Amino acid sequence: MNPKLLLAAILPMVAVSANCQDLVAVKAKKILTITGPTVEDGVVLIQNGRITKVAKAADVEIPWEAKVIDASDKVVMPTWVLAHSEGGMRPSNESMQNVPWLTVRDAIDPASGYFENALRNGVGTVHVMAGNRTLLAGTGMVVRPAGRTVEDMTVAANTGMKLSLLARNGSRLQQIRELRRAIAEIREYLADFERKKAEFAKEQEAGAIPKDKKFEEEIDRKKQAAVDFVEKKLKGWLYVPSYAELDEALRMTQELDLQLVLGPNIDEAKALLSKLKSPVVLDDTLEYFETDEETQKEVLHCTARLCADAGVPFALSLGQGGQTSYPWWQLGTCVRNGIDRKTALEALTVVPARLLGLEEQVGSLAEGKLGNLQILTGDPFAATTWVETVVLEGEVVYQRKDDPRLKYLFDEAAKAAAPADAPAPAPKAPEGEQTGGDNKGSEGSGEGN
Amino acid sequence: MIRTPNSAALAAAVTLALAVAVTAQQNAAAQQDGRAAAGKQTVTAYTHARILPGGKPAIADGVLVVGNGKVLAVGDATLRIPDGAVVVDCSGKTITPGLIDAAFAGGASANDLNEQSEEVTPALRVLDSLDPEAPAFARARRDGVTTVHVMPGTRNVIGGLGCVVKTAGDPTSMIVKQDASLRITLGAEPSMGNRSIGGGPPESMYYRRPTTRMGVVWEVRRAFYDAKEALQMTQGAPNASPPSEGVEILTRVLQGKLTAVTTARSEQDLRTALRIADEFGYETVIDEAQDAYLVADELAQKKATVLLGAPSAEQVGGTAGSDGASPRSGTVRALAERSVRVVVTTGTNALALPLVREAMFANRNGLGPQQALDAVTVEPARLLGIDDRTGRLAAGLDADFVIWSTDPLDPAAVAESVHIDGNPAFTR
Repeated sequence: MNPKLLLAAILPMVAVSANCQDLVAVKAKKILTITGPTVEDGVVLIQNGRITKVAKAADVEIPWEAKVIDASDKVVMPTWVLAHSEGGMRPSNESMQNVPWLTVRDAIDPASGYFENALRNGVGTVHVMAGNRTLLAGTGMVVRPAGRTVEDMTVAANTGMKLSLLARNGSRLQQIRELRRAIAEIREYLADFERKKAEFAKEQEAGAIPKDKKFEEEIDRKKQAAVDFVEKKLKGWLYVPSYAELDEALRMTQELDLQLVLGPNIDEAKALLSKLKSPVVLDDTLEYFETDEETQKEVLHCTARLCADAGVPFALSLGQGGQTSYPWWQLGTCVRNGIDRKTALEALTVVPARLLGLEEQVGSLAEGKLGNLQILTGDPFAATTWVETVVLEGEVVYQRKDDPRLKYLFDEAAKAAAPADAPAPAPKAPEGEQTGGDNKGSEGSGEGN
Repeated sequence: MIRTPNSAALAAAVTLALAVAVTAQQNAAAQQDGRAAAGKQTVTAYTHARILPGGKPAIADGVLVVGNGKVLAVGDATLRIPDGAVVVDCSGKTITPGLIDAAFAGGASANDLNEQSEEVTPALRVLDSLDPEAPAFARARRDGVTTVHVMPGTRNVIGGLGCVVKTAGDPTSMIVKQDASLRITLGAEPSMGNRSIGGGPPESMYYRRPTTRMGVVWEVRRAFYDAKEALQMTQGAPNASPPSEGVEILTRVLQGKLTAVTTARSEQDLRTALRIADEFGYETVIDEAQDAYLVADELAQKKATVLLGAPSAEQVGGTAGSDGASPRSGTVRALAERSVRVVVTTGTNALALPLVREAMFANRNGLGPQQALDAVTVEPARLLGIDDRTGRLAAGLDADFVIWSTDPLDPAAVAESVHIDGNPAFTR
């Protein structure tokens, strides 16, 4: 429907009643489409929240009624997709360990600084799950980090059951045993339920119960999500804190539908990693030191590199503070550990989109996808690059020039330093184009394909 | 007694360091010659590299010639390469001087950096605590840091003498400068946990003072008052008995012969640091300085140098900062705009990133790329008075340099090899 509407809009002969706000054209110096080739001097057209065209400016006539966002000296790319995050909730775990009936919907705080920061970093899609300090923690949901209510933010609800192998009391075996027992109890409950149902049918057959009577017992609401999970109707998202739990995690994947989320400290499980068939999610700590017990020498490991070496595709996460909260830092960490730019970019876009079943919606700029994009001052891999604007479904939801937090950190610092009677200098956050001086070494290695 | 390898190494290091402290001055010249003789006689030319020589613009297609542990020449592609030189093609790489961390907290365990018996200990030398085998040195080398300034910890009001060492070499050759600085700490840290034991009498030997910020400042003031008095007395009477060692060291600060480094984070402590220095007429370097944006004009007016600890701190330290400070990303720029000399360090922030990444954050937060790199090379060398040895790539200086995979301010950059006095200290 959208391409037809667009066609109608382009033809000036046809009277179009399309709302101007519904048609957005973003002009860019460079468009990183992720799945397709990079477009220089291009335009992205978004109508009714969906992308209708990504092409060279010369090949597109921008409809007169379109709202134009001029980023013709900037880089445009899809917003980042986070496959697994425990942000936006305070706290992210219930103190009880086995709470499969809970949902993050009841804990997400739309006003949380986490979502504000996500937008500032160009994140457009977040899969919010309960934290890692748990056994069965309930279901998660996919949100966009913009909106006043959880309903506004919702992209997909009931996206999976959170499980964790993180040893809470320092005992890995105990955690494994408790998780197994928790799952076994659900299976027992389900078997019990099915048995009762079968008996009911049997008695009905024998005439002990009237034919028109229905089996009225239902699955306990507190157990429904867990039952869906063991019946493989609901995916489980299992946090695996280290190499020591990976073996058990692999065993569990054979009987359950599980998405693994790997913590750091997995270098000892190199052989096991190569057995992983499907992509994994890496938590935000990508690099860690390990001390050799004999030589006392420290060795630096990178989880993304270990996965790449084992041939396992991976999605990256962002931390809630510190350097790992910056997408450019995570991408740079991948590149300095020998991962190519394309793989790194995909790990924050198309790979997590696929893991969430949203590959037709987000993660790349192409016709038919949601109009989610970010405008960057430069290369997404550079520390000096800033997110200028974030557009979600054709709507501008973030602008750096209006960001109160950046004003606080940059402009107010400059003002505070200025003498009270002197006029304040025109302060602004650093320009994006100061990228590493005259060096363009990081460019030209090609992205997109 | 069973000794772990670590304590043995430490003991050895301390012994050696002590030995060095005694003989270093007489032997300085001899060492220099000895090292040159022991060093490689071969001349190496690193060609086709992008060279950031420090303090000057980049050389796009540069050549660096080193031999005998020294830089022999730096220039562009037209530079004549000496006959017989080993040529290393560095196409696509960037060469910078070895980085200098002017506030490096990792040279020894924290226990060994904080003497708890007294709160004013100017005569202590951090050199005696240094552990050349400390993992922090290996990390520093891996991250392209070739020289560090180590100071006593921040638990004492006047902690003692800092020193400058290279991050590799034997304990003798590591030393670049002994007694490079005197550390003074303001704020809550020196008084943290200082209380009379079980409500006992305050005059007890177990009672550690001070317990407040005012107490901390008073301890500084009293120490310098004693030093000033000693100075006046000896000036009047040439045959007067010399002051005790601690007092003598403080007199060196008053005479401008020794650099005072005052660690202060919050606005009030920064102002106090400048005020006490004014009161006694000495100059001080300001260390950590998280709230420096609030006193930028005063710092500019005093021409103070700022050791800015972990410019990434807005994120790593959280907005609260430590000790009441509120670090903001605009600080580097506020200082640079007022021509305050900024040296970027890792400092006391436990979450500080490797030095090169802190320079990267300084660049991100508004310092130009050359300024950001100078803030971890040229500027610390000048401040520490070792700019005749390192901090730049220029003929005659030590061959301390790093070959980076790409621009060092790129988050993807790694040090491919690190050279100290011409010797490889780290190779990827």
